[in-house]
Amino acid sequence: MKFGLELSESFNIARSAIMANKGRGMLTALGIIIGIVAVITTMTAANGLKNTFMQSFSSIGSDVLYVSRTPWVNMGDFMQFRNRRNISLDDTEKLAEALSGRGIVNPGINRSLNIKYGSETLENVNVLGTTDKQIIVSSITPEFGRFLMPFDVEYKKNVAVLGSAVAEALFGALSPLDKKIKVGRYTYRVIGVMEEQGGSSFGGPNFDRRVYVPITTFIKTFGDRGGRENYDVAIKAPSQEELADFEYEVIGEMRKVRNLTPTEEDDFAINKLDTLMGAYNNVMGVVLLIGLLVTSISLFVGGVGVMNIMFVSVTERTKEIGIRKAIGARRRSILLQFLFESSVICLIGGVIGIVLAALVTFIINAVLMPASLSWGILLIAVIVSISVGVLSGIVPAWRGARLDPIEALRYE
Amino acid sequence: MQMNHMGATLSLSDVVKTYQMGSQEVHALRGVSLEIGDNEYVAIMGPSGSGKSTLMNMIGCLDIPTSGSYHLAGEAVSDKSEDELADIRNRKIGFVFQTFNLVPRSNIFHNVELPLIYGGVGRAERKRLTEQAIEQVGLTDRMHHKPNELSGGQRQRVAIARALVFNPSIILADEPTGNLDSKTGKEIMAMLDELHASGHTIILVTHEDEISQHAERVIFLRDGMVESDVRNSAGAERGDSHLSVVRD
Repeated sequence: MKFGLELSESFNIARSAIMANKGRGMLTALGIIIGIVAVITTMTAANGLKNTFMQSFSSIGSDVLYVSRTPWVNMGDFMQFRNRRNISLDDTEKLAEALSGRGIVNPGINRSLNIKYGSETLENVNVLGTTDKQIIVSSITPEFGRFLMPFDVEYKKNVAVLGSAVAEALFGALSPLDKKIKVGRYTYRVIGVMEEQGGSSFGGPNFDRRVYVPITTFIKTFGDRGGRENYDVAIKAPSQEELADFEYEVIGEMRKVRNLTPTEEDDFAINKLDTLMGAYNNVMGVVLLIGLLVTSISLFVGGVGVMNIMFVSVTERTKEIGIRKAIGARRRSILLQFLFESSVICLIGGVIGIVLAALVTFIINAVLMPASLSWGILLIAVIVSISVGVLSGIVPAWRGARLDPIEALRYE
Repeated sequence: MQMNHMGATLSLSDVVKTYQMGSQEVHALRGVSLEIGDNEYVAIMGPSGSGKSTLMNMIGCLDIPTSGSYHLAGEAVSDKSEDELADIRNRKIGFVFQTFNLVPRSNIFHNVELPLIYGGVGRAERKRLTEQAIEQVGLTDRMHHKPNELSGGQRQRVAIARALVFNPSIILADEPTGNLDSKTGKEIMAMLDELHASGHTIILVTHEDEISQHAERVIFLRDGMVESDVRNSAGAERGDSHLSVVRD
């Protein structure tokens, strides 16, 4: 009962103190506003980057294993992979045979080539020799026309499916279907355009800037040094749950394909979305941490501003503290009174900060990348601003609470 | 002591208070012993520097003795913690200050209500007691005004309402008329006399003879000691003074 009353009285005092000094309160809150905007924006930006990243890698598929010569994410010594044998066409065929009935195997080979249509040239486009199974393992679909079919592969047809960015750059508003383009020195007919996958604006691979051709046609036209060129193999696991077991199976079969003795290490790498995500999360974790550290400094400065004003507030109200103590206020009551004041100032700053940050997020979302505020972030912002209030108020409040009532009453 | 107490409300025995002012020790009180009973009306007088403010603070539990003991309603005050002293002030003592000491941002109602809030009294009871105290000082129509909208006399009446709202055993008035014109001062003194008549113990600190004559007993301090403790035989509310020495 008594404590509840002290609380509500403290809150009322804090409210009237802030109302009596609105201008000062707002200026003080400004520091907190800026800090909260900075912190929230950092977090939403990190979230936005993550969304972008997820989107750009969505076509990799979480239940797909990629067998390659080198790992995608290499934290160690690059040199150890340099002398590895390429994964040959023969290897991919043997692996497909060994895994037949278990997973869907799709070999791929790629090269950077120039693409031409009329007078338009697009340089260094990723040309991927693949099969009809590409859209199964990647879960991507054509927007116009069709994707490669088994007969395209079987009959080594000179057909190409364009990534959305390639189609856009070469054809603009025109329909690319059935148009003849030059891939390197060879003529291909466009049979389809893939849906935009997006999300490449922040360093992720741009899957939209890609041309898909039948793997057989690729070998026929561009050559693969007699099958010794390096291939990649994408294998869709029978199910997400079996991915781990399936990975061991793939490793075992691949070791057989590569004729490795039990003492030899793998001379290939199994890549998957998980590894990428892990690496990404590591990097983003560090970036986010640094971002938060830097933005926290602005919050800290805001907190110092609040502390400063609270010292002023305590000094100004020395006499009042004396009066309150004389008529029976305990130290706790005085402490709470000032803690409430600093917390309310910071909370007001926090709420305004949240509103502004929502605005900034909206703008980021509109012009830069998908970003959104989450309830979690809002909750963190509220908790952080109240904590800053309490932390920056505690020393001034304690000073006020400890004032000698006689000295305080005498203060003019 | 030859006085008739209904029981000592407070008693000081050999109270010494020493302050450290820089390198100098200031002996504000050098061994004060006195008892004040229920429903007494006491004036504490003395020149500046005599220690009357210190004694006032001591009696008001704003300060504790360096040595000696102070009992208030049978309870030893000397060894209480700061928060315990706050509770004693809250319950047992009502302060009336020379400069009124109202909380400027709060309205009259809230100012008078404050001791009850710190005392943990429930809302309905608080409202009843507060309105009753404000009515007692005749400011019901000003209840929702701020202190700065009131005259000095009215402010002091608010302070009196605040002092008596928790029905404390002692009302301590420190130069209550010091900042008021003589007419208003008389009104305030009449109010204190009335409170005394209704059973409160009143302790006044003043340097004005005229004011001290409202009291039944005058304690005169000099150099931190009780110089005289006399009974004002004329009693309260008499203009002329007939002092009889009780004790030297």
